[in-house]
Amino acid sequence: MSAIIRFDKVSIGVGDKKILSNVSFTLNSGEKAVLCGLSGSGKSTVLKAILGLQSISQGAIYFHQVRLSSSNIAEIRHQTAYIGQEPLLAADNVHDALLLPFQFKSHRANTPSNEQIHNILAQLNLNPDILNQQSSHLSGGEKQRIALARGFLLGKKIFLLDEVTSALDSENKLALYNILDNQELTILSVAHDRDWIDRCQSVLELESGQLIRISQRDNT
Amino acid sequence: MTTLDIALPQMVVLYGLCLLPWLLLWLIGLRLSRDVIIGIIRMSIQLALVGFYLKTLFAANDPLLNTLWILVMIIIADFSILQRAGLKTRYFIWSTLIAISVSTVFSAMYLVILVIQPNNFYDAHYVIPLVGMILGNCLQGNVIALERFYSSLHKNESEYMTFLLLGATRWEAVRPYYQAAIKAAISPTLAGMSTMGLVSLPGMMTGQILGGNEPWLAVKYQIAIMICIFTSTTLACIINLKLSLQNAFNNYDILKADVIKFKAK
Repeated sequence: MSAIIRFDKVSIGVGDKKILSNVSFTLNSGEKAVLCGLSGSGKSTVLKAILGLQSISQGAIYFHQVRLSSSNIAEIRHQTAYIGQEPLLAADNVHDALLLPFQFKSHRANTPSNEQIHNILAQLNLNPDILNQQSSHLSGGEKQRIALARGFLLGKKIFLLDEVTSALDSENKLALYNILDNQELTILSVAHDRDWIDRCQSVLELESGQLIRISQRDNT
Repeated sequence: MTTLDIALPQMVVLYGLCLLPWLLLWLIGLRLSRDVIIGIIRMSIQLALVGFYLKTLFAANDPLLNTLWILVMIIIADFSILQRAGLKTRYFIWSTLIAISVSTVFSAMYLVILVIQPNNFYDAHYVIPLVGMILGNCLQGNVIALERFYSSLHKNESEYMTFLLLGATRWEAVRPYYQAAIKAAISPTLAGMSTMGLVSLPGMMTGQILGGNEPWLAVKYQIAIMICIFTSTTLACIINLKLSLQNAFNNYDILKADVIKFKAK
């Protein structure tokens, strides 16, 4: 298994406050990992740092063995889907939100067909009628699943997920687990959901910005 | 016809007119006496100085002196734009300077050399007032463009980041705010052109008519100046915002935290 993301003694601070201290871990291809810890322990910061949204004060992040820098940040963002707790769909309705990234030059050639859109919605247990709904009328869980659908339509294989199951009922959670269990997907998530944590191969426990424990298990 | 002079006693009578708005403002409870007095004094001193400088410039009619005067006007406009837009000078000083210089000089020279065609293209009687008018309007447009662009980018930072994370380049991600800012900046000029002559007589035309020129000549000059103002404002705003993108973002395409002086989301 090749390393997709590697944190090498990463520290992040804002002013005098340290958000992450000396964090090191590796996320391999196809691995599902979860970051656990209390609120404010630095979990979301780990995800944002990978996307270049948070400046690193010490250490380095490697993406496919290449150090994260301004020269490869566009490629990292291109390959990675980030789904936050309150994802912004950035379009008036769901249909436009799903097609939004295909307006950009990097994805323009891969605009999905209606059939592909309907397939992905079905896999996420979403009714096709949702396509005509106003984005502002969606629940938090629906927004997250639409953002996930957007990631799948873009053909992303690396997902950074921040509490994507917290707003879902058990039926929708199951549908989501089934789609995320794909061996081709590499996932680094933040979660408190026990069922999801049990499905992950690695559990990274953070406390006050420090990685205090990494538990590995074989779920295959 | 020659323009009638306003003698000193009549100037005193003129200032007396200010007592009316001052009194009305005081009666409705607005304590603006200090602002009114400062405004009138500043205007009078500044215009008196300009009158003095212009007299000297016109008498000398020296291309070097004219260029120097234009340069001073552009530099003052540069600082004024950034101050009024609430942006950090060090990030935008060069982009704004280049944008307003290129657009103003281009429009003014186009008008003077190709349209008006005086004997000397650097003739102070034409170059100085025309550049002044174009620059003044350009200044207002650039204040609106910069302020609107960076405040909306700051306000919609999450949306901008979403665009980036969905594969947009920096340019693709800022484009909606860029287009909105340019539209806001040129809208007053466009609206002004649409109602010109119907709602009010424009300043330059009024000046020419008072100066004894035929209304038709005044109309032609007014059309010329409006086209130049529209061209230079559009050009300056487009160039300015585009150049400013180089310094306002970090290497990861994130808007630098300190580009805006006063932040309110």
